[in-house]
Amino acid sequence: MTTNLSDYVSSREAVLDRVRRMLRDTMKLRIEPEAIDPDVPLFGTGLGMDSVDAVELVVQLDAVFGLTLAGSPWVSAKLRTVNTIVDAILELGNET
Amino acid sequence: MRLEDEYRSLRHGAALSRMDHVGLVRVSGDDATEAVDAICSGDLWVRDGRMLQTLILGEPGQPVADVYVCPDDDACVLMFEGITTEELSACLAEYAQPELAIELEDLRPAYELISVNGPYAWEALSKWLTPDVIGLPYLSFYHFDRGTCFRAGKTGEYGYDLAVRSGYVERAWEELLALVGALGGGEASLETLDLCALENGFFSVRHASVEGLTPLELQLQWRVSARKRFPGAAAIEERRAKGMERRLTHFVAREGVESGDPIRDADGPVGQVTAAAFSPGIGGVAGMALLDLSVAHPGIDAFFVPGPNVERPIRTVSSPLLFNRSLLVDPHRRTYATRDETSDPPLWLGSLP
Repeated sequence: MTTNLSDYVSSREAVLDRVRRMLRDTMKLRIEPEAIDPDVPLFGTGLGMDSVDAVELVVQLDAVFGLTLAGSPWVSAKLRTVNTIVDAILELGNET
Repeated sequence: MRLEDEYRSLRHGAALSRMDHVGLVRVSGDDATEAVDAICSGDLWVRDGRMLQTLILGEPGQPVADVYVCPDDDACVLMFEGITTEELSACLAEYAQPELAIELEDLRPAYELISVNGPYAWEALSKWLTPDVIGLPYLSFYHFDRGTCFRAGKTGEYGYDLAVRSGYVERAWEELLALVGALGGGEASLETLDLCALENGFFSVRHASVEGLTPLELQLQWRVSARKRFPGAAAIEERRAKGMERRLTHFVAREGVESGDPIRDADGPVGQVTAAAFSPGIGGVAGMALLDLSVAHPGIDAFFVPGPNVERPIRTVSSPLLFNRSLLVDPHRRTYATRDETSDPPLWLGSLP
């Protein structure tokens, strides 16, 4: 693995771990963070989140990561899976 | 109808499909729920009128059936892919306690399954059934005079599966075909449904071989109970204790990538393609690959599929791949007639390697 790839994977795994823990706490899930698959759907199936959970998640993402999604037209695209949240957080890091 | 036309129907209007590959049974009796719970990997905590998406696993832990469980009064309706009704019956006989009082009724051929999928599928159904269908939550169902309407789907768009009495099915098909035709749609084949499922990251027992793979590698842990015993549970526990080595990851490529192709980086092999198909929405190949866990992440451009003359680069991406039109369609505000797609973002927001 090249250094660039190794660095990218390390930073992605660090954010993934934090998002998993945040979701577990927000959803009060009684599972280990590793049991939350990166591509698990957040709504409908998967974690089965509802609109109330979505509001809490948006607040948490803003508070913990500085990711502001409230009022964004892209919110439905960014809150689909754990990985799409990680993508949004990493994009935020690249912009700043 | 060409696949591109079917695809456009499904992704931009509404598409009608026959679901002959899906099994449909009713398990009834005092112990129906307990018996179904014994063979499914998920916890059967679901109210009457709602649906649970779960799996049936083989003893090695690999999925053998993709199942919707629908509790209905004192019975459970099961809609399933991957195994036959006879195999499901054998599974119940093997894993449910023999003293349980259950009766299995094959609902085919008395009923046939038709599906309607697309950002305006709700519009066709609201005219064919009742406007109330707009308010039917995802993963719920209700009975009507000639069958049952299941709000489900595996395309990322509004989706409805209709179990229609066989004597009425041809008339229903013609009526629905006329309705979806007025919404810019038509018929969609199983190939198109599978492509759309692949683009949206839905598990399909038909997408690729799952031999040797458990829900851990397939990112389906959410369909597996941590509280009960079920076929394959021991294999999953063993895999978890041993540590997962690979994980399913989505990717895109420009062309020439097929199921079974090896994936490498500059240092050597990193995985294998499990499913791939050309996606009109992406303008390239959408695929899934089993990658070494250490690199099974989206956003990586370092991999390629080797070939005799040329290396085909791939880019790993997050699932779902598309920004589905259904996310933009609020049935109370936007109909097919009033749509204006000029301001909509493209289906695919990424770029190809």
